[in-house]
Amino acid sequence: MRVLITGIGGELGTRVAMLLEEEQEVESVLGIDIDPPRRRMRRADYMRVDPLRRQRTIDAVRAFEPSAVLHLGIYEPNARTNAGPALKRTEIGTLATFGALSGLDGLDRIVVRSGIEVYGRRRGAPSFPDETTPPDPTTSFGSALLHVEESALALAESTGVPVTVLRMAPLVGPHFPSPLGRYLRLPVVPVSGVFDPPFSLLHQEDAAHAIVAALHAGHPGIVNVVGHGVVTGLQAARMGRRVALPIFGPAWHSARLVSNLAGAPMPDHVVELLRRGRTADGCRVEETIGFRPAHSTPDVVKHLFEWASVVYLEVEPEAA
Amino acid sequence: MTPVELARSVADIVTRRVKGTYSIDPWGFDAELTGLLADASRLRWSIELRGADHVPAEGPALVVFTRRYGISEPYVAAAALHRTRRPLRVVGVPDMPVVGPALRRLGGVLARPEEMTSLFRVGEVVAIPLSRTPRDRFDPGAIDPVLLEPALRLGVPVLPVALAGRELGRRWYVEIGAPIHTTLRSGPLADAELAEQVRAHVTTMLGHA
Repeated sequence: MRVLITGIGGELGTRVAMLLEEEQEVESVLGIDIDPPRRRMRRADYMRVDPLRRQRTIDAVRAFEPSAVLHLGIYEPNARTNAGPALKRTEIGTLATFGALSGLDGLDRIVVRSGIEVYGRRRGAPSFPDETTPPDPTTSFGSALLHVEESALALAESTGVPVTVLRMAPLVGPHFPSPLGRYLRLPVVPVSGVFDPPFSLLHQEDAAHAIVAALHAGHPGIVNVVGHGVVTGLQAARMGRRVALPIFGPAWHSARLVSNLAGAPMPDHVVELLRRGRTADGCRVEETIGFRPAHSTPDVVKHLFEWASVVYLEVEPEAA
Repeated sequence: MTPVELARSVADIVTRRVKGTYSIDPWGFDAELTGLLADASRLRWSIELRGADHVPAEGPALVVFTRRYGISEPYVAAAALHRTRRPLRVVGVPDMPVVGPALRRLGGVLARPEEMTSLFRVGEVVAIPLSRTPRDRFDPGAIDPVLLEPALRLGVPVLPVALAGRELGRRWYVEIGAPIHTTLRSGPLADAELAEQVRAHVTTMLGHA
């Protein structure tokens, strides 16, 4: 199996590459991304390709001739870059990668990372959507993910290659660059005073194992991957011993401004999660890809706060 | 329960609230808080419950209950069902600030078939009200057939429930009828047939109450 990983420079891409390096049946792994992998790779090759440069992406994909593709080149706004470039990289990178794949022989499976942001939280939207619920994104990240899914399904139709779309709950973790994680780790966490709705999360290890499981299963179709259980913004803040500040209405504008200055910019999908909630039914994950997230949503929140913010070391005057 | 045990359980509940480790479900339902309120509702209402053994011990069920003015009925129905150890999800919460989330904490859900389907999938008891009938005590009211559709599609048993009581009074009679087993079928005719069956059942029970 020759595996191409787009977006290897992210925490998720790096972890997936490390898991694949340990497998015998994987002959070679090539990762492409604008950033290098976040750990040392033993077997996987890395090629620096900015997703915005279409031709370079196409050349890299065609030259490698992958038999399996893990499309993890999904850039969450304000995770590693600002919202504009993140959405643009997601869109152009996806089109270039899938365009390059459409003319390739020997390709037998594709796994695409998407998110439960595609369901959207319009007023009256179902609280606990499953895979049969029609997507209706209400945020820029949700729309970008839906475009990725649509192009993936179009590719599946034209080439006949099975495409697994994994709709993942938001990923947060101590080492995981994500706007929601940074926000919840602020000393004072503004939460919705009028809704305080529940949301689900997914552990970074579960996400990586789900992608590897999906690669082996080769199941065509859409699968939600969600940690079981939910928490609300207030609960998450309390679990991290943060001060929860209930706010409503126009105060969210000030909260976004202040949190941006404090180093935790809030893109619209994070604001929506805090004000309207975000969960999905992930009960089909076991029967389709044969894997079940091991960590519940409250576990993910606990794990997020286990990482100490700043540790002040005692300085001994004599030593200095 | 001895006073020491009571004090300990109250302390546990308060600790969970402060630490944020109490559990909420994806629809925003807070089982612990609702359980406490259902127990406290004995101070307000004295409910006479008949046919409690008709409620299945596990698995999904659809409760169809009658309303007269429709103010107390959802809460009385939920308090009555609490005695059978099944939390009740009452359909008909508006998706708007303050009111919506507050009612969701107590088991309210949006009046949408998708919402009911997702609850049936995880084996919850969902309740839909018949229309309000302030004039006639013995008129069961009409059912929105759209809300019966999920139960028909998934073959969920339907429990007709008749409520009788005065809005400001203490005494309420709640009678749970024998479950109507839906055969797996769908379509407007099946909906109408089931609605008629439920109405006939409820009318007889209202006569008793």
